[in-house]
Amino acid sequence: MNKLILAVCLTLPLSLPAFAGDPEAGQRKSQPCVACHGPDGNSTSAEFPKLAGQHYDYLVKAINDYKASARKSPIMAPMVEKLTVRDIEDLAAYYSSRKGLVLKY
Amino acid sequence: MKTCRLISLAAAGSLVAVVFSPAFAAEAGDPVAGKAKTSMCIGCHGISGYKTVFPEVYHVPKLGGQHAAYIVKALQEYKAEKRSHPSMRAIAAGLSDKDMADLAAYYAADPARAAAK
Repeated sequence: MNKLILAVCLTLPLSLPAFAGDPEAGQRKSQPCVACHGPDGNSTSAEFPKLAGQHYDYLVKAINDYKASARKSPIMAPMVEKLTVRDIEDLAAYYSSRKGLVLKY
Repeated sequence: MKTCRLISLAAAGSLVAVVFSPAFAAEAGDPVAGKAKTSMCIGCHGISGYKTVFPEVYHVPKLGGQHAAYIVKALQEYKAEKRSHPSMRAIAAGLSDKDMADLAAYYAADPARAAAK
């Protein structure tokens, strides 16, 4: 019995993804974002940033900053107000998995 | 004849007004001039997987392909101290509107198209 518990404890971390976010769940949750940021995060309007291909942890930070009013935007504040930690991670996982932004020297 | 001269004077005047108006200057970023101004950016934004470590740890955002208008807005917000990253505030504080427009034009330029040229 003890061995079984030990085995479960040792293998559990292996089954977890590298990031906590689920891109498929993120896509489902991204409907309110589409109007400004585009269907896959490649916004066509210059005033709204592209999110596709952006780093996962930067996206999480940006949303958290809007939520905490560390970044102020009358548009983003009400959009992120009710997002849970899980929602934020899923959305970040979805947008960071899309093709778009690139590293430029 | 006099009317003619008046009209051309007015036309020249409005051309000068357009060229020197702030709105025009804000949109006219030069990507070549922008590339020459990236020395302060590449140490963080030009290194694959680079993370900022102060005050929080996270990957610095990718800029390649981002909208120019959004990049200018972000830099202006750092300069006005409306966004909080200490390094970005310090760097943006030394940038003119023209510097911001040039940098934004450089980073916004489609990398695939730029490479094909």
